[in-house]
Amino acid sequence: MISLILIVFVSLFFTGLISRTKSLLSGRKGPGIFQPMRDIFRLWKKGSVYSVTTSFIFQIAPTVYIASVLMAILMVPFGNKPGLISFDGDFIMFAYMLALGKFLMIISAFDTGSSFEGMGASREALFSMLVEPAFFVLIGSFALFTGHTSFLEIFSELHYGTQISYLLGGLASFVLIMIAMVENSRMPIDDPKTHLELTMIHEVMVLDNSGFDLGLIMYTTNLKFAMYGAVIANFFIGMFPLGVSIPMFLIIQAGFAITVGIIESFMARFRMGHNPQFVYILTSVSLLIFFGVLLVLGKFA
Amino acid sequence: MTDILLIALAMTLLYISIASRLNTYLNILIFQGFILFGVTFLTLTKISTVNLILIMLETIVFKAIAVPLFLKHIIKRNRITRDSEPYLPNFISLIIVTFITVATILLASSIKVANLDKTFFVVALSTIFTGLYMIVTRKKIISHVIGYIIIENGVFVLSLAVGNEMTMMVNLGIMLDIFASVLILGIFFNRIGDLLKDPDIDQLRNLKD
Repeated sequence: MISLILIVFVSLFFTGLISRTKSLLSGRKGPGIFQPMRDIFRLWKKGSVYSVTTSFIFQIAPTVYIASVLMAILMVPFGNKPGLISFDGDFIMFAYMLALGKFLMIISAFDTGSSFEGMGASREALFSMLVEPAFFVLIGSFALFTGHTSFLEIFSELHYGTQISYLLGGLASFVLIMIAMVENSRMPIDDPKTHLELTMIHEVMVLDNSGFDLGLIMYTTNLKFAMYGAVIANFFIGMFPLGVSIPMFLIIQAGFAITVGIIESFMARFRMGHNPQFVYILTSVSLLIFFGVLLVLGKFA
Repeated sequence: MTDILLIALAMTLLYISIASRLNTYLNILIFQGFILFGVTFLTLTKISTVNLILIMLETIVFKAIAVPLFLKHIIKRNRITRDSEPYLPNFISLIIVTFITVATILLASSIKVANLDKTFFVVALSTIFTGLYMIVTRKKIISHVIGYIIIENGVFVLSLAVGNEMTMMVNLGIMLDIFASVLILGIFFNRIGDLLKDPDIDQLRNLKD
């Protein structure tokens, strides 16, 4: 229960912190931290316009998207306190809940009949496909390391003894930060501010959504960011008592937002042909992490 | 700590497979030289001090400083263009190098020799095969030389695994380094550079009569 409250709380400020960091690094003062939420509230008061070429899928997709992300958040624990849903192997259900939401968004983009949206949707499908083995190999390595298969038990038993386990923890956070950048369509994979349709990936899928639906989709982006930040923070707060772990959680989330802002300010988006190899290298690094876990456990002589 | 450095060496192999400029290859060679310096310092604790200092100087001076500087000089002198001109796209190279690493891990785990230090074995074999892969899939002659130096780094790691018992093996590896870099690179490559304008292995056909 506490993870749900904290993640929803952080999601109100996350995107605002990112755009504030980007503005400060460009030399301006920028909008307030709460400004993206004010935009979302304004969108929630409006009605939606549905095109005549779309079917019922276009109308239900944003709702299913936010519902799947909320269900996935219910499974994320907070250190050694479980989420509302917790069972053995729940990290697999976590990944596939997110995939269900993404699938509905992709087919609703195809539903509009516009060729730009179809192009962006197929790119989004490619990058998600390339990132999926990275996530599974990473969480699987840590499941092997601790000997349990549920999110809660993995994070509550994760302790860093030897030097190499610190290296593995650091590498795992790096891979998770990159996975979060790919799944949320930020730089250096996708530029959220580009207006050229041929170069958009996620933004072009939501070109035809308006009003309440667009507000739902924008809020879901914030929720996904906060959720990935919670999974990253869980790698480090497993063994501390509640009084220490809540401030650490907030600090790690703020650090994550500032890191995203810094990466967005200083890197341009990669050429579209270079994106698949950038995403696939996460899988290769996860395989090396798996090898490192085998070394630590001594299963590798 | 040795394991950490060896895993960092395996990660540089992944980076080489997707890099597209020749200068990036040379920077990775410098980084590998420093990693090998660290690994030598931590592993070879039972040989005499003179031998140890000789080997450590060899890794720093040759692998990290002299050979990359010499290659940069050759690139500038023969006006070789920056691109590395692979035959296969970089994405396929990355998949193949990952497959090489996984295959060496599987191979090493099915060998039942008692005294073999598996980390050294895995990293050395993957370095050797990745260097071989680099030679096979690149068009420029200078990339073949860089691939050969990567193979030498792999052989060096393998010789470190037994370095405490057989110092002669490590010294022989060093002599191989000096021979390859100074004689083959320096003399051979300068002569070819004088003859061909833009070194390319297709143009080596010009050398036959």
